[in-house]
Amino acid sequence: MNDPIATARPTAHRQVRAGPLRHLLFAVFVALAPCVNAAVSGADNHLQVELVSARLALVPGQTAQLGLRLRHDAHWHTYWINPGDSGLPTTLAWTLPPGFHAQDIAWPLPQRFTVGGLYNFGYDGEVVLPVPLDVPADVQPGTTAHLAVLAKWLVCREECIPGKAELTLDLPITTAPAQPDPRWTHQFTDAERAQPQASAWTGTARLAGERIEIALRGPGLPEADRLDAFVAQRKLFDNKPPAIRRDGDALLIDAGRSEYFSIAPALRDLDLVLTAPTATGMRGWRVRVRLVTPIATPAQP
Amino acid sequence: MKATALLLAGVVAAFTVSSFAKPVIGQPAPAFSATDSNGKTQTLAAYKGRIVVLEWNNPLCPFVGKHYGSGNMQKQQAEAAAAGVVWLTINSGAFGKQGHLDAAAANAYVGKVQGKETAYLLDADGMLGHAYDAKTTPQMVVIDKDGVLRYIGGIDSIASTDVDDIPKATQYVRQALAELAAGKPVSVPTSEPYGCSVKYGP
Repeated sequence: MNDPIATARPTAHRQVRAGPLRHLLFAVFVALAPCVNAAVSGADNHLQVELVSARLALVPGQTAQLGLRLRHDAHWHTYWINPGDSGLPTTLAWTLPPGFHAQDIAWPLPQRFTVGGLYNFGYDGEVVLPVPLDVPADVQPGTTAHLAVLAKWLVCREECIPGKAELTLDLPITTAPAQPDPRWTHQFTDAERAQPQASAWTGTARLAGERIEIALRGPGLPEADRLDAFVAQRKLFDNKPPAIRRDGDALLIDAGRSEYFSIAPALRDLDLVLTAPTATGMRGWRVRVRLVTPIATPAQP
Repeated sequence: MKATALLLAGVVAAFTVSSFAKPVIGQPAPAFSATDSNGKTQTLAAYKGRIVVLEWNNPLCPFVGKHYGSGNMQKQQAEAAAAGVVWLTINSGAFGKQGHLDAAAANAYVGKVQGKETAYLLDADGMLGHAYDAKTTPQMVVIDKDGVLRYIGGIDSIASTDVDDIPKATQYVRQALAELAAGKPVSVPTSEPYGCSVKYGP
């Protein structure tokens, strides 16, 4: 029986930690196609990863948009910040020049996957996980910034394969307006559209036995039809699709409580994401609601 | 409070749908009977008076590989055996699914990884897995001498496939067993298990 850890081969791209054969293949690939910036196929890993930038250069004092481009083989997926019943979120550990700061992944709207009666949240097909990069004001124009990241992921169909890759990107520093990189315009536009929109809604989440009941109010609440709801924090929802309905001006979300829920009476904020399919793809919103115990005074009449 | 009434109606409906009992900390652990890799019938009732650990296993799951490749799982199995604790490893993978093992393959696996469990249970129909609502491999359960559920969750506190994380993590099962041995309450009775999904049949 083969050691499962031994199957955790990284997908090769740019500076990728890989075996000697991979390095050789990569070197040959680079030699043959020095101007093509494509990823080496990672067919045996079921995922290709790439570090990309929305623009061709970085501007001192501005926030640039980087992204981890993920291309999944058909039927394979990676995970949202809350992966659901199993799985692991993709993580990034950056090595950056002094003064540079990479923000957290701006997680695109998740999809719901069902495997054997269990629920997972994540991504399939092609997706870019955007990462805003704060560029220091005092960085010297005309120089090049060397950006490096160690990406780790778990890619699953029903079975799962962990992977990691060291990816690098060199970008020039310029004071002129940075031009979009035409290769990734489409991907970053899609990534922007797939971001949960900030909402002006208010709401409270209430523990009720084995349920968590959330009532949202405010302008522009969507119809309950075909809505799905996710919570970024783990150990809150039981990951099954919640019951969602409108009641007058309120949107009511009734979710099962996680069986691993063990938060003491302390109050806690819950980052809720709502999604709805539209003709032009998934649309979604985010709202932070306060989790209160049943003995608390109801927030709304 | 029309909204509340509607929510209550929703709660009642949901309870009706999922009517089977879930395992609850502090309550009697669900009874079971399953066949092990040596053809022997294993029941929870037979181990009354002893602490029992349940471990969900899929030999091809990388999270399981993390804890067996490093020897962490076998070490804890050996510690448990030395303390008189019963350790039952369970494979709930359905026939044809990744990691499913028949009796011979299960014995070969235990031999290869030098497992120190009391027995390796074959649960291809998922009855035992569903009774404990096991979702991932690995997933762990600790049952006290009176048959009461004392821990359900992950093997440790760091959800990853990296062996390097094991020394940094709190080993929840080891901690629970030490606390039970000292007559103390289990300080962390639940954690969210992490790993591969259990490959149940349809």
